[in-house]
Amino acid sequence: MNSVLIPVLGAIVYIIGMRFYARYIDRKVVGADGRRATPARMYADGVDFMPTPKTILFGYQFKSIAGAAPVLGPIIAIKWGWLPGLLWILLGTLFIGWVQDYMSAMVSMRSDGKTFGGVSFTLISPRARTILLTFIYLYLLLLAASFANTVAKTLADAPRIPLAVVMLALAGVAVGFLIYRGRIQLALVTIIGLALFYGALVLNNYVPVSASWVLWLVFALVFSFFGSVLPIWSFVQPINYLSFYIILFGMAGAVLGILVGHPSLERDAVTGFAAAGDGLPLWPMLFVTIACGAVSGWHGVVSSTGTSRQLENELDTLPVAGGAMFLEMILALIALTIVAITPPDVTGAPGKLFGDGLGRLFGYLYLPESVGRAYGPLMIVILAITLLHLVVRFMRIGTNELLGRAIPIMRVPAIGTLVALLLTFLLAYTGTFNYIWVLFGSANQLMASLALMIASIWLVAERKKVVFAAIPMVLMYVTTMAAIAILSKQLLQQAITGLAPDGKTLTPDKVIGNWVAGVIGVALFVAALILAYDGWQAFVRHRRGQPAPASAAAQ
Amino acid sequence: MSDEAAVNKKGLHLGRNIRRFLWTLAGGDAAQFALRTRGGMEHLFILTTMGNMLGIPVPMSYYSLRLLPHVASRIGAWKRWMLRERDFTDTLVSECL
Repeated sequence: MNSVLIPVLGAIVYIIGMRFYARYIDRKVVGADGRRATPARMYADGVDFMPTPKTILFGYQFKSIAGAAPVLGPIIAIKWGWLPGLLWILLGTLFIGWVQDYMSAMVSMRSDGKTFGGVSFTLISPRARTILLTFIYLYLLLLAASFANTVAKTLADAPRIPLAVVMLALAGVAVGFLIYRGRIQLALVTIIGLALFYGALVLNNYVPVSASWVLWLVFALVFSFFGSVLPIWSFVQPINYLSFYIILFGMAGAVLGILVGHPSLERDAVTGFAAAGDGLPLWPMLFVTIACGAVSGWHGVVSSTGTSRQLENELDTLPVAGGAMFLEMILALIALTIVAITPPDVTGAPGKLFGDGLGRLFGYLYLPESVGRAYGPLMIVILAITLLHLVVRFMRIGTNELLGRAIPIMRVPAIGTLVALLLTFLLAYTGTFNYIWVLFGSANQLMASLALMIASIWLVAERKKVVFAAIPMVLMYVTTMAAIAILSKQLLQQAITGLAPDGKTLTPDKVIGNWVAGVIGVALFVAALILAYDGWQAFVRHRRGQPAPASAAAQ
Repeated sequence: MSDEAAVNKKGLHLGRNIRRFLWTLAGGDAAQFALRTRGGMEHLFILTTMGNMLGIPVPMSYYSLRLLPHVASRIGAWKRWMLRERDFTDTLVSECL
């Protein structure tokens, strides 16, 4: 099959989804009303509530939701063949993904800009908020461990890129000071920063830098430490700013390569129900391996915290929240295409697969394939590490929020960060990447089903049709609970027996890793059961038109 | 409006929207962070200056005591500046030169 067909299919689904299905739900079912005042307009406090034009807000939404996951997920899922991943990305986005993003923003907006926690407190029960916030923290921990592991393994496998990554950090700091303290013109500073980065990349090509993946894991965590404790303008923002151009050039090259070369897909369409290598079953594991790009709970958190408080008109909700999800689908399809054009005998870490595919595409643009083979892993590392330091920052705040009252020292930024990083190191060092990634995906998708549950309860309370949200919610819930159950059972079994699936004896650190990951899986499973129980009670209550227990408790 | 003008107008919007989108991806978060910081500082300013008047119990004497060690060495100079006699020739340097 010609690879150009994949993005073309994506564009068709985008148009059909936005133009017909999503628009119907927005106008006829939810009833978006352009005359209704949004929280951004009502409160406009200049800090949290800021009415923002939809074209700019679309950029914020897309930037917040699109990271390494829509790229990594399809690469990892290629073990089942490209067709299952393609179908899940297209159909998942069309029927579930945009619904979750859109409804999260709409429910929050119609609830005075409350976050998930606040809405669940009001609609479901007081304990639902506590469980949901704890759930989100565990999810962040799994995300951090997955991405830290990705960075470490990719840098260890690609000795011709580490210098560039280190230079990105240094150049970012310099750029931050030049912009904010030096007041140097932005264009000039950007050129200086990118020149330093690409100069280091060229140098690294002649002077490879090899180190163990443990050392790179420590590097990733030290990088994240600075991202968490330093003022955001001095580290996180300028590094992410420079990274945007690096990623843009890579993706633009990939898209041009696909259009110019239109290579054929080399990988098998379907390899079998059990994945090659680890034997994980297609259902439910594919649906938690590809998260962002089809449906992702993280988008619901973003939509209900930032986006809902900046929408200046209800009619902007669909193009911003729904539209950004469809665009991320395109990004995932590009990543799928890049890996699907690599020959089946090319195996290894995601960075290697991505680099091989990108190398081929760069070749069609008369660039040396070696450039693409280096640029691919570099993009994976940058996508992962720029999100990692933000996640650790978020975890530091979460640690303060959850433990700060009971243990005052947790309020110190450095201490809160160290706690988050130690947990991340424990999980990343001892865990097996494939299992950690799928556990992270399961937590992510479970959060999506919980977001859809909140949306369904809201729709029932508002006396609106609920089928378009309820059916996806049930599908996601059943699938992710099955994934977590299978994974937790496997992990705990391995921890107890001390044997890997291939019969080899596990090292003590891997046994610890299996225990930690298995216990986290069980905790997520139990939390989701309690939330589902409370959710069902709330659903029945609202159908009968009875007040929620939260409002009674508040009185 | 003629068809050509309408197409041109649409093209202008598309170009502007793409530029806005790319700008937001590149540095929009930094701009928004600056706006939020400014908004936060304005809120804090209103709290400290107007809080008591608006019914929020802001213990000014507490904050004044906390700031005292940092300003104690300047209080003498501040007193002299506040109480010094002035006439219009004092504005010669500050306003005219």
